[in-house]
Amino acid sequence: MLQLNNVEARYGSFKALEQVSMSVAQGELVVLLGANGAGKSTLFNTISGLIKPSAGTITLDGTDVTGLKPSGLVQSGVVQCPEGRKLFPEMSVLKNLMLGAYVHRRDKAAIKKTLEEILALFPILDEKKDQSAGSLSGGQQQMVAIGRAMMGRPKLLLLDEPSLGLAPLVVKQMFETIKGINEQGTTVLLAEQNAFAALKIAHRAYVIENGRLVMEGDKDAMLGNEAIRKAYIGA
Amino acid sequence: MELFFQQVLNGLTLGSIYGLVALGLTLVYGILHVPNFAHGALYMVGAYVSYITMVDFGVNYWVAMLLAAVAVAVLAVLCERLVFNPLRDAPPIHDKIAAIGIMLFLEALVQMQWGAEFRRMPTPYTEILDIAGMTIPAQRVLIIAGAFSLMAVLHLFLKKTMTGSTIVAMAQNREGAFLVGIDANRVAMMTFAISGALAAVGATLFAPINLVYPAMGHLLIMKAFVIIILGGMGSIPGAIVGGLIIGFAEAFGGFYISTDYKDIIAFALLVVILSIKPTGLFSKGVH
Ligand SMILES: Nc1ncnc2c1ncn2[C@@H]1O[C@H](COP(=O)(O)OP(=O)(O)OP(=O)(O)O)[C@@H](O)[C@H]1O
Ligand SMILES: [Mg+2]
Repeated sequence: MLQLNNVEARYGSFKALEQVSMSVAQGELVVLLGANGAGKSTLFNTISGLIKPSAGTITLDGTDVTGLKPSGLVQSGVVQCPEGRKLFPEMSVLKNLMLGAYVHRRDKAAIKKTLEEILALFPILDEKKDQSAGSLSGGQQQMVAIGRAMMGRPKLLLLDEPSLGLAPLVVKQMFETIKGINEQGTTVLLAEQNAFAALKIAHRAYVIENGRLVMEGDKDAMLGNEAIRKAYIGA
Repeated sequence: MELFFQQVLNGLTLGSIYGLVALGLTLVYGILHVPNFAHGALYMVGAYVSYITMVDFGVNYWVAMLLAAVAVAVLAVLCERLVFNPLRDAPPIHDKIAAIGIMLFLEALVQMQWGAEFRRMPTPYTEILDIAGMTIPAQRVLIIAGAFSLMAVLHLFLKKTMTGSTIVAMAQNREGAFLVGIDANRVAMMTFAISGALAAVGATLFAPINLVYPAMGHLLIMKAFVIIILGGMGSIPGAIVGGLIIGFAEAFGGFYISTDYKDIIAFALLVVILSIKPTGLFSKGVH
């Protein structure tokens, strides 16, 4: 469904992405592995339209979406749960979730249904729904961020390091949740430092280094690859 | 005691208008981080639209207010589209220079068209009410009731409606707002329109107990900046409370110290409050 062809992105004169070509098929869960500063967030923000690519094309279900505004991409079904969460800290948890459904605002019945699903997925958010998002713990805020992205009913969900700063037990739950979301039919592109856990739930993976994709393979090939084990799994 | 309540009333009158003007300024600042120095000129244009439609076209006071609100909202949106939007990626100083440019342009335009003389805006509410021994001009009651009702409506709009929430969301986290699909242009235009309409209504309420002239926005915009710095840049409750603080300080300072110093009080308060709380009274989150 998502296809990138020779995408390049720059910060001033610095090329943060070079000749990135990749694809994500309908229903897949694809992991993007890369060290700090490799360009994962830049790639996600380029797909989301926050950064305009300086070269290359991005297509979604065959339609060219290169250079579309972020709001246009959300409308087309590409929703990102960003690194650092980017919540609305002084608004209630509920309001944050409701704003996640901004593009569907006319469809009140569907919003209500999605909201119920998300609150069932993260029962703690139901308890805290009237508190300000900024007052929640890091892990709870991460749940709000994922929930907010889910409220947009994405066709393609981009998750940028959702496990960042979470306790190991919560990380495990988080990966279960992501797997569940994918099994419900949402296509997922997941950037992770936690390579082993991410690969275990993935179908395929790409490796990014210094703004270039240097390796691609399915789950088993990646888990079995010596270089990957050394660089990203540490075993 | 009567004199004391008379000052309370004066403070409320000034404070409610200051609050209304500062609200428009702080909304725009919260979203775009543009200190809109042209806001005082928008206020002035609002007063002229009301004045001209009432005096030259014999339009009813309320209709004139509505026309002024619409006209200035459109003008503010034009400023956003033609000036501030193209400067979005420019260094911040460009916005400030452009805002001053708009201000000078609007003042010169109004002066060319209608001259620099002072005018008095008519109002149908000229009675003096006598409540519990206090003499209260009806227009003042109208100012206080009008300004606070408008603030309440704005508050409900921002808090309770999805459209209003997009403004608050954009102020709290710009990228977060983009990522849920909120359109930056739409929010920017809406915010400028609201800010312009607030200024025009404020002007139409306040001008009958004041004067209408091309430079009428100068002192007001300076005080509005004092208010939003006091209240915390971008803070909505800060603008309202800040407006009331300055309004009361002027009313009581003018009465118990000397009216000659009335206009200095706002700036003196700014120095005092910022030296105690440098981030302003309500600043948090928005920045
Ligand atoms: N706003 C920016 N301006 C300039 N350079 C930037 C900017 N954001 C990122 N970069 C640079 O682009 C490169 C890629 O950054 P990016 O944030 O995409 O990395 P990442 O893979 O997400 O890293 P991490 O795992 O630490 O989140 C880095 O070298 C970074 O210094
Ligand atoms: Mg990153």
